[in-house]
Amino acid sequence: MTTSPSMSRARFIFGWLGILFVIVIIVFPVYWGVRTSLAPNGNLGFFPAELTSEHYEGLFAGGFFRNVQNSLIVSLSTIFFTLPIAVLAGYALARFDFPGKRYSAVLLVLPLLPAIAVLVPLILYMRGLGIYNTLYSVILAGTVFSLPYCTWMIRGFMLSIPREIEEAALIDGCGAFRALFTIAIPLAAPGLISVAIFTLISAWNNYLFSFAFTTKRDLQVVPAALLGFIQAWGTNYGGMNAAAVVAILPPLTFFLIFQKWFVQGILAGSSK
Amino acid sequence: MSSASAPISSYPRASLSKRVWSGLRRNALAYALMFPLVFLLVAFLFVPFVSLIYYAMQRTDPGMPDVFVGLKNFEILIREDRFRQNLTATLVYLVGVLAISVPMAYFAALLISSSRKGVGVVRTIFLIPWVLAPVVTALLFRTMLDPQSGPITIALSALFGRPFYLTLTEEGSRLLIILHSAWRSFPLMMLLIAAGITSIPLELYEAAKVDGAGWWHQFRYITLPLTRVPLFSAVLLISVFTIQDAEGVYALTQGGPGYGTEVTGVRLFKEAFLYFNIGFASSIGIALISLSILVMFIYNRILGQGERA
Repeated sequence: MTTSPSMSRARFIFGWLGILFVIVIIVFPVYWGVRTSLAPNGNLGFFPAELTSEHYEGLFAGGFFRNVQNSLIVSLSTIFFTLPIAVLAGYALARFDFPGKRYSAVLLVLPLLPAIAVLVPLILYMRGLGIYNTLYSVILAGTVFSLPYCTWMIRGFMLSIPREIEEAALIDGCGAFRALFTIAIPLAAPGLISVAIFTLISAWNNYLFSFAFTTKRDLQVVPAALLGFIQAWGTNYGGMNAAAVVAILPPLTFFLIFQKWFVQGILAGSSK
Repeated sequence: MSSASAPISSYPRASLSKRVWSGLRRNALAYALMFPLVFLLVAFLFVPFVSLIYYAMQRTDPGMPDVFVGLKNFEILIREDRFRQNLTATLVYLVGVLAISVPMAYFAALLISSSRKGVGVVRTIFLIPWVLAPVVTALLFRTMLDPQSGPITIALSALFGRPFYLTLTEEGSRLLIILHSAWRSFPLMMLLIAAGITSIPLELYEAAKVDGAGWWHQFRYITLPLTRVPLFSAVLLISVFTIQDAEGVYALTQGGPGYGTEVTGVRLFKEAFLYFNIGFASSIGIALISLSILVMFIYNRILGQGERA
């Protein structure tokens, strides 16, 4: 360091002030939501003197548990179908040369196109398949729309594993399928976990498929139900924020626990 | 992009069908592995996309048979005042979001890629907006900015001595959706830019310091040029997502007041899911896809030009 001590000290303090500033911008809306969900409506104190659970009780008395259950079913099923399909295709793209492979770049472009546009004909489609107004259509759409990005990320992780290990196994008479399950998948496990977490959080947060394919409230996922509350409840901010806190908890907990893998996975997947 | 090893096969001269069959057998495993993915994408993305083009050329009234109308829907759309307002609102939204989130993301990226202690925790906190659902964050912003009970509006009223009704004026609502979207988008950009910053070799900065370059010059001539590509990718991603956004805006303002914040995505959302105007909604869907492709095209051109220069 050639800079003078007072200069670097000023930069140090300035840096922390900047960090503090951004933290306030990020944390305040979330704090205020949690506060509002726990304070009686009309109490606007920064630290409310009396706390209440009435908003949460009202929420769950109104059948909100059904929506939480739907969200769990939809996001877990989405990951259950997405991951195996994406692993197989990602492995094929990373390890085999076959005619037509060059079109796989489409997988990179698909996530950039608006899902909401294709959703219009998909509604009629789901009606034709007889799964409109069921959770199946929501799971199906969730899987299809998360596949391109997941496959591309897994392809990247598989490419970063040296081929030689698998080749040695193949020469020893191990089949390609066994090589996939006993060598490639365990070695790519950290990447697979980050893909899984990403898919799970996106699926939990998605409201569009639920909103488009289901019309009954007891079939909706949490974010879709929340949108309904925003339209129906007007200024019952306590109740709405209680629903928001329930919607926030799973992705936030998941993210805080796995954030290291999550971030590495996103960066690894986006740089290849 | 494609893998490093080229196909080693050289097909022997044989009849066409024989060649096709032996090729298929050689690639059978790869095709089998690809099949579930390709099947789902063709059946549920490609075919609906084709039918989107079909429906865009139909007039669909509920309870009546569809009528083929050619490009009539697009004609109506282009002539329509409301759609022009939709496009204007989209452009204002895009420019506003980028103007706020790009500098903020860059600033945050510089902060989290410094070597100070505790930076890992800071990065985690900075990423929080990104993992929350748009509907949820929209509600958090509504709560903060409610004319009667919002802490921000109350603080502003106390400061300026007059009440603030952000959601009742066009400028206020536009500001609201822009702030919300910028708040949501900056973490992803920050992550991409920070990855670019940390990949710059430290020797470059050492050499610059020896030459007497100050903080600003190091930033201007090393950091900024060498993070151009990640910065561009981040801007592309956020631009595309902002243009397509419907849920954040719809949950905040429902497109109002008037059509002031009715961006293209919200218009599509209303036509498709509230009015069930499938034909017209499909033509808006095609407009939205074209808009996204246009942005990707422009981005590619700018980046390509920079590389040649």
